[in-house]
This record gives sequence, structure tokens and C-alpha cells, in this order.
Amino acid sequence: MAESQAPAAPAGSDGRAEPNHGLRIFLIWIVLALVADLLIWFVWYPHLPPGRMSESAEHQQLDIAVLALAAAPVMLFVWTYFGYTLVNWRHRDGDDDDGPPIFGHTGLQATWIGGTAVIVLAAFVFGTVELIVPAGAGAGEGPLPVWKPSGHNLLQVQVIGQQWQFTYRYPQFGGMESTTLVLPDNRPVEFHVTSLDVIHSFWAYLLAVKADANPNVDNVAYTTPKHTGGFTVRCSELCGIWHGAMFDSGRVTTPTAFQAWARATELREHQLGVLAALPPYALTYDPTVVPQLGQEVVKVAGITGANGYYYPPSDPEQP
Amino acid sequence: MAEQTTQPPNELDRAAEEAGFYHEAALNAAWTGSRFAIGALAFLYGAFAFAYFYLRSINSEGRWKGSGYHAPQMGYGVTILVLVLVSAVVQYAGLQRIKAGAKGAWQAAALVALLLGTAAVVVQILQLLSLPFQPGSSGFSSVFTDTYPVLLVSWLAAMLWLEILVMRARPLTAISFLEQPPTYAEAFAVQRFQSSLSAFTLVWNFMAVVTLFFFLLFYVL
Amino acid sequence: MSIDIEPEKAQEPAGSGPIGPRLARPWWMRPAMHTGIIGAILGYFIGHWLGNFLSWEYARNALSDMNDFPLVLGYVIAVVGWLAGLGVFNDLGRQILGKPVPAAEEEEEAFGGVARYFRFSLDHKVVGIQYLVGMIIYFCTAGLFAMAIRTELLSPSYHIMSSSAYLMVVGEHGTMMMMLMSSVVLGPFGNYLMPLMIGSKRMAFPRLEALSFWLTPAAFIILLSSVLIGGFPTGWTGYAPLSVQAMEGMDAYAVAFGLMGISICLAGFNIIVTVINYRAPGMRWSRLPMFVWSMVTVSFLMVLATPVLIGGMYLLILDRTVQTANFVNTLGGSSYLYENLFWFFGHPEVYILALPGFGIVSEIIPVFCRKPLFGYRVAGAGMIGVALLSFFVWQHHLFVSGINPEMRPLFMLTTELISIPTGFIYLVAMGTFWKAKLRLTVPMLFALALYFNFLIGGISGVFLSDVPADTTEHGSFFVMAHFHYTIMGGLIFAFFGACYYWLPKMMGIKLNQKLGYLHFWTMFIFFNSTFLPLFAVGMAGQPRRVFEYATNLTPLNDWVSISSFLLGASILIFVINFIWSTVIVREREVANPWNSRGLEWQVAAPPPPGNFEHIPVVLSGPYDYGVKDAPAVADLHPPVGVVSASYASAGTASTGVEA
Repeated sequence: MAESQAPAAPAGSDGRAEPNHGLRIFLIWIVLALVADLLIWFVWYPHLPPGRMSESAEHQQLDIAVLALAAAPVMLFVWTYFGYTLVNWRHRDGDDDDGPPIFGHTGLQATWIGGTAVIVLAAFVFGTVELIVPAGAGAGEGPLPVWKPSGHNLLQVQVIGQQWQFTYRYPQFGGMESTTLVLPDNRPVEFHVTSLDVIHSFWAYLLAVKADANPNVDNVAYTTPKHTGGFTVRCSELCGIWHGAMFDSGRVTTPTAFQAWARATELREHQLGVLAALPPYALTYDPTVVPQLGQEVVKVAGITGANGYYYPPSDPEQP
Repeated sequence: MAEQTTQPPNELDRAAEEAGFYHEAALNAAWTGSRFAIGALAFLYGAFAFAYFYLRSINSEGRWKGSGYHAPQMGYGVTILVLVLVSAVVQYAGLQRIKAGAKGAWQAAALVALLLGTAAVVVQILQLLSLPFQPGSSGFSSVFTDTYPVLLVSWLAAMLWLEILVMRARPLTAISFLEQPPTYAEAFAVQRFQSSLSAFTLVWNFMAVVTLFFFLLFYVL
Repeated sequence: MSIDIEPEKAQEPAGSGPIGPRLARPWWMRPAMHTGIIGAILGYFIGHWLGNFLSWEYARNALSDMNDFPLVLGYVIAVVGWLAGLGVFNDLGRQILGKPVPAAEEEEEAFGGVARYFRFSLDHKVVGIQYLVGMIIYFCTAGLFAMAIRTELLSPSYHIMSSSAYLMVVGEHGTMMMMLMSSVVLGPFGNYLMPLMIGSKRMAFPRLEALSFWLTPAAFIILLSSVLIGGFPTGWTGYAPLSVQAMEGMDAYAVAFGLMGISICLAGFNIIVTVINYRAPGMRWSRLPMFVWSMVTVSFLMVLATPVLIGGMYLLILDRTVQTANFVNTLGGSSYLYENLFWFFGHPEVYILALPGFGIVSEIIPVFCRKPLFGYRVAGAGMIGVALLSFFVWQHHLFVSGINPEMRPLFMLTTELISIPTGFIYLVAMGTFWKAKLRLTVPMLFALALYFNFLIGGISGVFLSDVPADTTEHGSFFVMAHFHYTIMGGLIFAFFGACYYWLPKMMGIKLNQKLGYLHFWTMFIFFNSTFLPLFAVGMAGQPRRVFEYATNLTPLNDWVSISSFLLGASILIFVINFIWSTVIVREREVANPWNSRGLEWQVAAPPPPGNFEHIPVVLSGPYDYGVKDAPAVADLHPPVGVVSASYASAGTASTGVEA
């Protein structure tokens, strides 16, 4: 912390020849930057969030590590510089002269502008590659995704947000529903995220997937789980009073275990009549229209919102 | 300000000089201010235009205009448009006359413009009270219900400004628009009035263009 | 005392001017805050009644047996009543009736003493002080809400607040902070110092300036009134459709935020027009102090971006009252529309919060380095570049929303490009520090802290601009830490630096330096101790605005909470110092204690009414430290004829009759 230098650290350069300050700063900086970058790459990188549970997580971890590699020298340069000036160029008592009137230095300014521009453009190119290569990096891509994973064995999972829980629907298994998210290992997953009421955000932290759930919008995101294990799903967009409690857990299993679980769930829901009662699978749902329950549903306070105050019976076209 | 009499003549010169400096600055401020006001208004109405095009292009649930869509009454729309446009044109023509020195001609034009603009406000209120659709029945009806009250308030504010200008013009002698008035006081008053009038004309013309633009969006497209 | 011979006034018949009768009235008959409050109360009841009258057939909320229409109308007419009670419309009414209107200076001369701080004053120095006190009060109020948040977050599962109370507190904190931060520098320091810095005796639109201040108490009280009716659950962003669905408290949010939008739009409008037209002779654009440059760029953003906020809040109010469907997807609206409108304002807003801080530190460091500002043009270009680019980055808030996914690389690029002009600010600082003679006074320490904090905030912003990294960080405490580093670590540190730097000038009294150092060090340490761990909390997966979190994050959250209480105590030191120094001790300060070259320091402290005895003629730039034989910054007593020569030559282009 540059500012925490004790005020009594006089720079004893009075009688001697002026040292090459630029070189000194550069040397201090280069050592610090090297150490920092080595630490980041070899010590910190393997532990950086969001871990390596899925393909998009691996890419995000790499991305964060690379940005940290670039950021650390920049920050250290500024701190080193300010630390150096604070140690060496303090005002001394009795010296009431002003400093040297330096108004600018064209070469230095051009170098700085060029340097930052290069860093920024490099970050942009790297970020774009990291966005496109892992099929959208696990972020929500809207209803018409531009970047998709290759291969044909995509597992489709619909994530339906509502106040205040997520429901997961598997269209390839008869449209069965589950309240826990179960995924197979090593198979690309296509999440279709939508909402029944307000904006939620589906965030599977360890899978590095985040996609906003908007009502009447199908928001698609991709990832491929790489390891089996449990993970947590949280809502990351404020969605009302129980937003903080809107989380559940999911797990990644082996493909065979997943098949067994999915088939069993589908069969059970079929037998119990759940599948028949569910609305037909669609990319979005309008909760005010539930044919099985009749028109009355829109008058039941609370079905579409926290307070039942969400376009109560007065939908102008469906009075 | 009893001190005035005791001041040496030099200080009176200085006072006149500073009064002139800030008079000049105020004239420029009216010019700059009207441009910035147009910028702010453009962004305000830009938000509504954005809402229009955004909802139109998304057509959520197929309800940009919906199944039971009723168009807003063309008669009202055309009436309002004509009232605003004619008001702006008449006022602009009046401005040209007062620039040529004819104060009376502008006063007449301004009264007509004031009347027409106020009539537009009244007709718009009548239309909003008798819309053929519920505000929330479609995306279109929502944006329509959003936009016209804001336009209405803008027209009303502009007409208030015009009314103030009409009142300000009254004590100014007609001859001072033709030739340099005898005193600085009168010259300054006339110039301040002129700069304010120019600023108003710019804003009111801009509002006319905005009205035309939204007419095209809501009634023609 | 400057003699003002405004020739127009000669026309007024003697004795019948509006000033005479008003002065004769006792104080409680004159328009001031108390009449404003009476007007507001009357207005609220009229509006409430009118709303009920107009909307009796509308659907009512099942729980409160009320719809939003009377509430909103009550708020709006209360504001009108408040302004009418303050006398805002008096001059307008006179103009409408064709009566003469007194000049701003003349109105000011009629009132003096402490009372003028409680009335609709047209003196920019009074407005500046009003803003200063107002903003400190709002800041402390919103800060208390922050501590309530941290108190709740002490435990992941034991709650001292209900979930709705927690969200209410979060929303109040966020919205109030965002509302006040927009004006926290432009209001007090911009209004007070900018005319002094450009050598002007006046503002272009003093009535708009005063109105911009008097809207802020209305906005804040309306926002606070939300607490009485259940609060609002959306945080400061007010995302629809949650905000359409929410209870009445949401109306307070929308009305208050919209009002504040009007306020900052007017404030910016006045500032930018004044800087363009009221500069003293010789005050070229290349001699403008950096602080004024920052005010120009901020005002530019305010004038153009806030109308979109006003529009957005208005659409939200209409959705909630007359039941349009702008943001309701099932009825042809779109929740994306709100997000786009909000962030189209919201991102320029972020730079409205950043640029004043840059301006303040650029003003402080040359004085305490005793060196010219390095790369003046680069600094100006940096601010202009940030201001322009800020209109093209708003969708980086929406990277995971599913809006325009193919546009994300573009917005990633524009966002990262902003770091180039922001970097200019660092280049300027580093060049200025080179071989400087640093004096670590309290303002200088705050300036240094801005460079330290904003570096962390800015670099973390690059992480957020990168879509893959943002996928993990979006909506988490990482974002929260990021913008607290830029806003609090940047703007608020600069604000306090400006207080210690300029309050001696504005009030003519010394602030206690020992308490100042204590304030700085505690604030610097506890600020970093509060917000640095939040980056880790966010990276570890804690979303924003939750009241329950993973148990293993308890130690970090507790650390943060305790630090935040200490940070609050540190702010209390400032409040104590402020009151102690300005009310109790009142030690006089010399006119130019920092030996600054700034034009504002060349007049007495506090500046006399009218700022300058004569219009000064600016002779050189404000940062010519160490320049041999540098001319004085301005000739404060130019000979008669110099000023008139300056406008006589340029006068032809400005008669303003060419529209």
C-alpha cells in the first residue's frame, strides 16, 4: 500500500548525482510484476473461480487468469510509481520553491496511449475468442444463439424460473419436470431459460452458466459438464422478497446413472398423471393461461405475482 | 442604490461595461440553451421512439397491435398535427416580419400561433379521454398512451413561453425594432426579447417536427 | 460590494417593485421551507383526492384497497405545492401576467443571514452550500441503510429483518446513493466554485439552478416515504416486471428517481451553458481548470442521458397507474425495453459519478506537487473521450440477459476502450508526480486514495467487461465491490478531498487538520477492508441482494460487516469535524491557504457577494507552478475598456436573432 509509507522517510539524494529514477522504477516494477504473474499463473490459477467442473468453467477460469496476468503488472506499475514518488519526492521543510514546470512529454504520452490501446485490444480479441470457442462461454444467448456447440447429442433442459424456485424440464424425456437439476457427464447441455413472472437469473456457479430468465423469452445457454459431483443453483437477479432464498442444488452424474434417473422420473410422473396435467412443452409459458384450470385462474390472487397485484382480472383483452 | 451618485464617472463606465458583458453573455446563453434544450428533448423523445420501434420489432406475443386492435382516431390526429404545424409556421412567419421591423405583425401571428397551439392541447386532451382502446391492450396502445401526454405537456409549456413573450413584447416600442433605440436600457430589453424569441422559435419548430414524426409513427406507419 | 446598474430596471416605476412589499412582511409570511412544507402537504391531499376521483373504477390492490393512481398524483402535486410554497413559480407568474421580474442579484440583496439557506435563493454560493449540507445529510442517511444491510448479513441464516424489510433497505440504500452521487460534486462544488473558476459573477440560469436543488429534498423525502408503505423490492435498478408487480412503495421509487432526473438535468443544463457563455475575458478553453472540464463533460452527460431516465420512470409509472403494458411481455410490452432504457441512462450515469472525481483530483495534485498539471490536453481529452464513449456501452450490463447476443463483442470492445481515456487520468497524475515536491496534506491524501482505489475499481471493471469472465461475476458481490470501489473509492474520496480543500474557501474557516488526518486514515483503511473482501465473496458465488448466503462465507461477510461499521464511524469523524469546525470553533482561514494559482483562490474567503469586484481578465493558465516569471493568473482589477473590448469584437455572432 503505497500511501502507508511513514512520513519520515527522507530521500538522501541531495549531494549526490541525480539517480536514474526511470530505470529504478522499471527495475522494481519488473521484479514485482514477474513475481506476481508467476504467482498468479502457478499458485492462484488452479484455484480461481469458477473451478473446472464444466467446459465453460474451464474457459472462464482461464479467462480470469489471463486477465489477472495482464492486470497485475498494470496495477503494480501504478503502485510502484506512486510508492517511489512518495518515498523520493516529498516536500522538505524550508524548501518553498515549486517543482520543475513540466507540462507534458509527447513521446511519453504517445507511448502510454499506444500501450494501453494494445493491452485493451488484446483483451478484446482474447475475450471474443473465449466467448465464441466455448459456445457462448456459458452466458445466456437469447432465443437465437449465435454460437453453438458442435455435435448432435445435445441434452435439452428447460429452466423455468418463478417466484421463488427453479423447475427443470426435460423435453427429450417426455417433458418431465424435476425440482433438482441432474445432468450427465461429458454431454453438451442446451439450457432453455425462461420465467413465469419476473426476471430471474439462472446461475449454476460451478458449471459457469448464467442466463437471465425473462418472462416470454427463451434464453439459451450451453455448457458441457466435465466432472461428476454436486453444484448449487442460485438466482442472481433480484426477483422479489425471497430472492435470497431462491437456490437449490443439482448434480452431475455418469451418463448411465442419468439415463436411469431420467427414465424413472418420466415413468413415475406418467403414472401419477403429472405429465398429463402439465402444460405441453413450449419454449415459453403464459401462466395466466392454464387450460386445465379454466378461466378462474387469473382471478386467484398470487398466481402471477407476489401480491396478486400483477394485472389482476383487468387484462384488457381477457376480462 | 443611493451610492450611485457618489461614484466617480469611471466606475459608471465600468458598470456599463460589465452590464454589457453580461448582457452579451445572456444573449449567447439563450442561443446555447435552446440548442441544449433541443438535445435533451431529442433524447427524451428518442426514448419514446425507441420504445415504439423496439416493441414493434419484438412484437411480443403477437400483440404489438393485438387481435382486437383499434387504430387511434385519424380525425383527432390530423387535427392536432395541422394545428401544431400551422402554429409553428405562422409563428415562424411572424418572426420574419419582426426581424424586418414589423412588431405588430409578429404580435398578430403570435396570438394566432398561441391560439392554435392551445387548441392542439385541448384537442389532444379530448382524444386521450376518448381513446378507442385500453392503454394496456397492446404494445402500440401502450406507447401511444405514453407519448401523447408528454407531447401535450411540451406543447403547453411552449405555449406558456409564447404567452410570456407576447406579454414581454407589449412595453417594447415598435420603433425600437426598426432602429437603434435611444438608450442602452431599451436596446438591451429589445435584444433580450429577440434572443428569447429566437430560442422559442427554434424549440417550437423542433416540437412541430417531433409532432410530425410521431404522427407518422402512430397514424401512418 | 459591486454596484449593479442593470439598465433594464430603470423602467420599473419606483416603489412598486416586487421587493419592497415582500421585505415588509414578517419572516413567516415570506416563502421559505416552511411554506414549502405547507404547500407540499396541501398538494399531497389534493392530489390524493383527485387521483381517487379520477380512478375510482380502476382495479385496486387487494391488500391496501388502493390503486397507485392517487398515490402518484399525490406525490406529483405535493411536489408542485412544495415548489409553489417555496415561491418557485412567483417569477413565472409575474412573467405570465406581464409584470416586471427582478433580476437575480436584486432578489438576493433583499435577503441575508442564515435564513437565505432555507429559501429559494438564486445566489449560486447559497445553492452550493444548500447542496453541500443536503448531500451530506442524504449520504449519511443512505449510509445508515448500508449498515443495516451489513448488520443483516452478519449471519447467513439468523435474520434480524424480514425478507421484505431487507429488500426495502437494500433498495433505499442503492437508490438514495445513486440519486445523491449524481449531484454530490456538481451540486455543491460545481455550483459554488465553477463561476469563481471561470471568472463569472453570475450563472446563466439561476432559477433553474435553485430549482435543481429544491427538487432534491422532495425526491429524497418521497423516496424515504416508501419506507412507510412497505418499501420496494427491486433495488436501485427497478427492473420490470418486478417493479410493475410491486406494491405502492415502488411508486415512491419511480417518482423520486424521475424527479432527481429532472433535477440533475436542470443542474447540468445551467452549468454547461454558463461555462460556454460566462467565462471571463481571457479564460480560453485551454485555460479552463480541469475541474471545470469535468463539470462540462458531466453536464453534457446529464443533459442528454437523464431525459431517458425520466422517460423510463414515466413509462414505469404509467404501467403501474393507467395500466399500459410497456414492460409486460404477455401484453405486447417487453421487459427488455426497461433494461435498455434504464441502462442507456445508467451507464452514462456511472461516468457522471466518475468524472467529477477525476476533475477534483486533477485540481488538487498540481497544488500539492507544486508542479503544472502534466498533459493538460490529455486530461481534457480523457474526460471528453470517457463522456462520448459512455453512450455506447450500456449493454455490457446485459451480457447474460439474452438481448442482442451477437452484439456482445462490440459492447465488450467499447467498454474496454473506455479504459484508454480513463488511463489518461493516471498518466496525467503520474506525470505530475514526477520529481514533484509532494505535500501530504489531507486533500492530497484523499486524492492519492482516489488513484489507489479507482485503480482497483477500474481494473476489476475490465474483468466485468469481458463476457466470459462476466458470466461468473455478473450479478454477484464482485460487481458490488467493483462499483463501490469506483463510486465510493473514487467519487466519495474525491468529495471529501474537495471538502478539505475548498471548504476553507467556501466558508472562510479552517477545518481541523488532526481530525482530517484521522478521518482519512480510518476511512482509507476501513474502506478497503470493507470492499476488498467483497471481490472474493462475489467470486465465491454470492449473488447481490441476498439475505441468505453460503455458510462458509460467514467469516468473510462478518469481517466486511465489522469493517463497514468502522467505516461508518470514520464518516462520523468527518461530520463531527464539519460541525465542530464550522459551527463551534470557527477559526478564520486566510484567502489562499494552499498557495494555489486557481482563480477561485484569488478572492477573499468566503468570496464576497458577486464573487469579483470587477470582471477579471484571465492572463494565464491555472497550473503554471514553477514557471519563471509566470504572469498572475488574472488581473482582478482590469482597467475600464478591456472587458468591453473583449465582447465588442465577438458581438456580431451573438445577437441570437438568427433562428
